[in-house]
Amino acid sequence: MSYIGAEVIISPLGDTAEENWNALAQNRSGISFVEGAGYTGEGMYLAKMLALNTTRRFKNLLIQALTKVSELIDSQIITSTRTIVIISSTKGALDTDIKDQFAGPAAALSRHFKLANQPITVSNACISGVLAINTAGKLVEAGIYEHAIVIGCDVISDFVVNGFQSLFAVSDKPCAPFDNARNGITLGEGCGAVVLSTSKDIFKETPFQLLAGASANDANHISGPSRTGEGLFRSVIKTLTSNKIDTAEIDFICAHGTATIYNDEMESIAFDRLSMSNIPLSSLKGYFGHTLGAAGLIETATSIQMMRNSELVKSLGYSEKGTSKPLNIITVNEKRRLSAVLKTASGFGGGNASLLIRSI
Amino acid sequence: MNFVTGYCRLNEDFCAVNGEVISRRDVDSEDSWFKQIYKEQEFVYPKFYKMDLLSQAGFLGAELIKRANLRVAGSYPDDEIAMIFANSSSSTDTDMRFLRSYEGNSSPSPSLFVYTLPNIVLGEIAILNKWYGENMFAILPNFEPGFYINYLNITKSGGSKAALCGWLEILEGKVDVFLFFVEENEETGTPLNAENLASLFNHKPSIN
Repeated sequence: MSYIGAEVIISPLGDTAEENWNALAQNRSGISFVEGAGYTGEGMYLAKMLALNTTRRFKNLLIQALTKVSELIDSQIITSTRTIVIISSTKGALDTDIKDQFAGPAAALSRHFKLANQPITVSNACISGVLAINTAGKLVEAGIYEHAIVIGCDVISDFVVNGFQSLFAVSDKPCAPFDNARNGITLGEGCGAVVLSTSKDIFKETPFQLLAGASANDANHISGPSRTGEGLFRSVIKTLTSNKIDTAEIDFICAHGTATIYNDEMESIAFDRLSMSNIPLSSLKGYFGHTLGAAGLIETATSIQMMRNSELVKSLGYSEKGTSKPLNIITVNEKRRLSAVLKTASGFGGGNASLLIRSI
Repeated sequence: MNFVTGYCRLNEDFCAVNGEVISRRDVDSEDSWFKQIYKEQEFVYPKFYKMDLLSQAGFLGAELIKRANLRVAGSYPDDEIAMIFANSSSSTDTDMRFLRSYEGNSSPSPSLFVYTLPNIVLGEIAILNKWYGENMFAILPNFEPGFYINYLNITKSGGSKAALCGWLEILEGKVDVFLFFVEENEETGTPLNAENLASLFNHKPSIN
């Protein structure tokens, strides 16, 4: 067990966790129609940070996130020799320099804050964020470091837009996770961060407990989800058993829910196999779009905000059952005390990962 | 305690398993260097030809270690072998190919795009072996023994008993690949520590 808190969210909905929470509580989405975007310039829906049109956006977002983190904890932790920074990203600064996607920005972050240890970057497709938080939690639990700061970030580029368009995986409307009419993802960009620590005293606001979980590969396909949800099923089972948590204790599932036909169907099958179909569940992609390597951080930070505010926000974009197995999708905001939350992620390369957050 | 019980070293010129060179590049061959190894070693896995270079290198390294250490394929349940891989340039080599696919008037290539993530090689090895274990792909400035040692230390909590580890650096013709298999209490292997790992990584097999 380690403590988790000091959550930061930078997205089209705002620059702090509070601003983002206020938008979510009003069910406001960061997705908008962006003229001229897309391979043929036809325009498309994106969760794009429209004010963020500077160069070196990836590096600048990392610095902005760590600056905000330093305001939420004992700031000496940042430069401690007992602290590791873990970055989660799929494409890093590819839009600035395809040949220096990670090393340069990580070194710049290190210099800017005079970090004592070289940051590690986790790049494991869409499970990067959950995997990075689990890694951070376990490094802290094992006593290898006392504190770990995890920053997830990805920015929208022509490269990524063209790629997902070439796979016919992009929705023609704002994405509609788990809905019957869903037809693909909406790409998003942003940055999220959390801090893990052996000590709860470093946090200015009460932290939560991270019960770090396991990852599992589908061993099925490099770019399509398993038809049986095997990897997600195994990941969640391992996460529950290694933490001695019973399904009945989980108050909310923050699912992956990309809004592609096959991903959401796979998740419904996995949750059915896990006997979790009745637990309130949502995807946050309708608010933030799919932020790839940032998604696990943004969505875990949002889950913590839901716990702080004792409120479930509705799964935006959902109106009608669209999976073969039933799910308890949240359709209206609801005040409710949340003691334990399950966060899952699945992605290209067959990866699946999960973690648990519990209130102290 | 952990031991390295099999390893494969692959660069632009040679491929070595457990310190012994098994293949040398024929510069006059019409086949790519990785295809030369695939054919010489008589592998049969047609999907190899669809893979990008990172995945081809991971396939070759994993299969060669499996041939040399039969416990890799035979002694562990399907979710007890973790894969812990890293490199410094991510999937940049394939990223540049994908970028070129849509320059000018051509359309972006979906078959290249799916390889523009460094962890796809983990998926390929998992599919081939039906391994459902834990996966990690990290980006580090250099080969760093401490990363593997720390990460092996923490994967035990997820139930992993063994791990296939890899450093897979491939960029614009440069090849620097090192895969190694780690098991607990297999004392025939090399004790896993930073010094031994650096020495296996840096060892240059003698020219026969």
